[in-house]
Amino acid sequence: MGCGSSRLDRTSGRLNGLNNSENASAHDAKNLRVKLVLLGDSGVGKSCIVLRFVRGQFDPTSKVTVGASFLSQTIALQDSTTVKFEIWDTAGQERYAALAPLYYRGAGVAVIVYDITSPESFTKAQYWVKELQKHGSPDIVMALVGNKADLHEKREVPAQDGIDYAEKNGMFFIETSAKTADNINELFEEIAKRLPRPSQVQPSQPAS
Amino acid sequence: MLLSLLSRRSLEVDSRDSYGFALRPQHIQRYREYIPIYKEEEAERLEKWKIFLEQHQKPAQACFSKEEDETPEFKHKGSSEEEHKEILPVGATELKEETSSKEEDKASLPAVATVLKEEVSLEEECKETLQIEAIKSKKETASDEEIKETSRAGASELKEEFISETSEEGDASRGKSDFAGSTESETKREAQLSEERKTCKVQKRWAQTRPSLHFIEKMMGLRVKKGKNTKDEKVNGSGDRFVSIKEAEHLSGESEDVLEEVCVNEMSANNMNASKGESDLGDGTSQEPFFSWKQELENLVHGGLPKDLRGELWQAFVGVKARRVERYYQDLLAEETNDGENNYQNSSSSSASKWRRQIEKDIPRTFPAHPALNEDGRDSLRRLLIAYARHNPSVGYCQAMNFFAGLLLLLMPEENAFWTLVGFLDDYFDGYYTEEMIESQVDQLVFEELMHERFPKLVHHLDYLGVQVAWISGPWFLSIFINMLPWESVLRVWDVLLFEGSRVMLFRTALALMELYGPALVTSKDAGDAITLLQSLIGSTFDSSQLVLTACMGFLAVTETRLQELREKHRPSVLVVVEERSKTGQDWKDTKGVATKLYSFKHNPRSLVEEKSIAEGLEDAPDLRDHSSNLDELFSGLNSEIDSLPDLQEQVIWLKVELCRLLEEKRSAILRAEELETALMEMVKQDNRRLLTARIEQLEQEVAELRQALSDKKEQESAMLKVLMRVEQDQRITEDARRRSEQEAASRRHALTVLQEKYDEAMASLAQMENRVIMAESLLEATKQYESGQAKALSSPRSSRSQGSSQDSPRKRTGILSFGLGWRDRNRSKAIFDESVDNPCSPGRETSNQEKEQ
Repeated sequence: MGCGSSRLDRTSGRLNGLNNSENASAHDAKNLRVKLVLLGDSGVGKSCIVLRFVRGQFDPTSKVTVGASFLSQTIALQDSTTVKFEIWDTAGQERYAALAPLYYRGAGVAVIVYDITSPESFTKAQYWVKELQKHGSPDIVMALVGNKADLHEKREVPAQDGIDYAEKNGMFFIETSAKTADNINELFEEIAKRLPRPSQVQPSQPAS
Repeated sequence: MLLSLLSRRSLEVDSRDSYGFALRPQHIQRYREYIPIYKEEEAERLEKWKIFLEQHQKPAQACFSKEEDETPEFKHKGSSEEEHKEILPVGATELKEETSSKEEDKASLPAVATVLKEEVSLEEECKETLQIEAIKSKKETASDEEIKETSRAGASELKEEFISETSEEGDASRGKSDFAGSTESETKREAQLSEERKTCKVQKRWAQTRPSLHFIEKMMGLRVKKGKNTKDEKVNGSGDRFVSIKEAEHLSGESEDVLEEVCVNEMSANNMNASKGESDLGDGTSQEPFFSWKQELENLVHGGLPKDLRGELWQAFVGVKARRVERYYQDLLAEETNDGENNYQNSSSSSASKWRRQIEKDIPRTFPAHPALNEDGRDSLRRLLIAYARHNPSVGYCQAMNFFAGLLLLLMPEENAFWTLVGFLDDYFDGYYTEEMIESQVDQLVFEELMHERFPKLVHHLDYLGVQVAWISGPWFLSIFINMLPWESVLRVWDVLLFEGSRVMLFRTALALMELYGPALVTSKDAGDAITLLQSLIGSTFDSSQLVLTACMGFLAVTETRLQELREKHRPSVLVVVEERSKTGQDWKDTKGVATKLYSFKHNPRSLVEEKSIAEGLEDAPDLRDHSSNLDELFSGLNSEIDSLPDLQEQVIWLKVELCRLLEEKRSAILRAEELETALMEMVKQDNRRLLTARIEQLEQEVAELRQALSDKKEQESAMLKVLMRVEQDQRITEDARRRSEQEAASRRHALTVLQEKYDEAMASLAQMENRVIMAESLLEATKQYESGQAKALSSPRSSRSQGSSQDSPRKRTGILSFGLGWRDRNRSKAIFDESVDNPCSPGRETSNQEKEQ
């Protein structure tokens, strides 16, 4: 019983997360808002992807992420809808996985990143996919991203492996390079297109 | 210490602050604004500290001199050169520069020793005997110590013994290495030596604090001993990891403990000496005098530490001197190199290699491009992190520690940095950075509760936006605000944190930040905006004094005991989740270290071990079946047992989890309901407000209209009044006119009546005249008749004469009469007045005429 209020706190977190995703789809059809979480092994370039996407910069000597960091960015799609991404960039070290649920709970989108030059990071990416399938929200949009595509001469994870794995798990796959900005915007645009639209969601929801 | 190597100019580039850290472009302007403030504060606190240190110099000096007397006493016997460094007269600051060259030489000596020891390690036999010897001797000393601990003099004697023993061993090993030293190892040694020398040139590996700070060091050292016991336990627990790394002095975990204990006792002995020197009382009194100025010191710490003293004061706060074990750091590093070469310690080396890889990844990502963290700086950083991982394998390496180590390296020599890191990570952040990060999760729940308590409105607003406090505060706590706040503020927070020796300051600072920026957050419209706003506000908290004072003064109720209570309350829930996770993630966490598993939860490792043995059993089973079918029965029974065993366990766990989940769902449902209700209420309120505002607007409009109408009416009235006035005036004029015309009319009437009267008069006189005329005519007739009668009588003479005279008079008379009649006919209508005027005289004339006639 002693832990009653603490449990309460955690559930409120989940609850809020859910609210958030509801907000993302149930707000208005033209201006979507979605919580996105980046997961993946340490040093695969999660922060670099976010920085490239949000600020258009690339810093080869970026800082270690402790805990998590937050940035947000809005993009406009061709059908004149805008999508505001609230991006949580998490720490990569394995032990920080203990804190990850705090951030992926209630997220509408999860971007799982691995480094194409590191098979280990690909294994880690699979761990994250399984973790999200178990504990993430059921309608989460997942993307598998092979980063550092510019280092193709050092490639150790064939693109086909990524494609196959993504297909098997109903994910969207893309190879990017934060360094050359390759496919970074495409990644987020594709995610935006795949978001559930309120017009599709509303019929299934009873009018409140 | 790295910082001191850099010239001020190279640090104060545009985009960097005075500590050499990169500034975010958006903050450069604000930082510039704060430079003079920081300088002023710095000057002020330098002055204060100077006074404070001078005041307490005397007693400190006394302690120090005693210490100095003593150190040579028991150290000169152990004549090994690195020990000699300790007795170096580490004097005042001015001396430092002089001594630094000497110290460099001395610092290079341990390196020689390490290399030698490596060589010795090749000769395992010798080493083993040495080990046994050493353990024996140490056990002896330890037991002796126990007995004699009460008598201080005895203890110090023992230490002398002990040190001489160890130095003998060192000598022995050196001799042996000389014996067996091959040319190959010789060259290798030289190479390593030169390498070591290079790094030593960059910085001293170890330095003592200046004597003026010793009294602070001593007081803080007392605190360390309390915590030391727990640390020893931990080292004991994981001691077997260190086992049998071939060194002359540290032969086993046990011996380490002994050494540490010895070191601590040494310290306490010194302290006792000091206090005894002053008053021949017991141990207890030694703490008394310290308290008298502790409050003063605390105030000074809240005001910030002077830049030049910061590194040393931090060490003093953490109790580096009391913690430091001679050569421990070097040995950890030596162990590391050995381990790399021949990894026959599988469990530790696999996790160690994992740490190593992570450390390698993170080193270039620690304060990237900081001018002080060049090649050598990064080497120090690497050594420091590896040494810590070895020292405390239950933590190993955790991201964030790289920043701590980097920061410490900027302020102090490498080994000092190591002990400082050990001090605050092992004691203040125990359980924080372990594999499961339990304490850090617990702290987040505690912080959330404190937030609910302190800022219910803000928390409610954040809840409404879908923001969880821990998302933001988690990184603050884990990084101890490094990279979150501006550096001046980070250092000020660290000052207090290290001084207090607990995580209270973390909470207070976080709460202070919420207090400072909460009001701004309430205006934010969605989760993204709120977090972005808070991040940018936090990042520009340049007013470090305000922050620290708000934290220290505003949240006095947040104390360590209160936090402990809350932690106890929240810990079980975290443990449940951790258990759940480790159960589901078992297949993924094979590589996890045993130590962390032990830490994670008490039930778990047992079940793990069981499962492993079961798996092994199952694998073996088919082979056994081949061997003897008789065993089939037994095995099937076993199998069923095996099946049922984990099943039950799993079921229990599953049910537990299910129960938790259901409870959580229920709670979340309740919460959701509550939230919906509040949302509804809010909407209703908002609706009301909208209606009311609409009504008000309407009413206002009406009022405005009415006012308009009123003013219109007034205008009309005034217009009417004007018209009325004019009309009145007109009326008056017409009245006047009427009166005048009436008057006129009256006068006319009057004139008319006068005229009428005159006319009547005239008529009357005319009638009179006519009467007279008639009378005259009749008279004339009568006369004519008389004349005719006379004429008949005139035929007689008498008649003739009379006739003649009578003939003349009638002629005259008719003349007058005819004239009169003609005049009357002509002027009958006009010339009344004339007539009336004429008339009176006419009769006179007539009469005169008549008289003439007569």
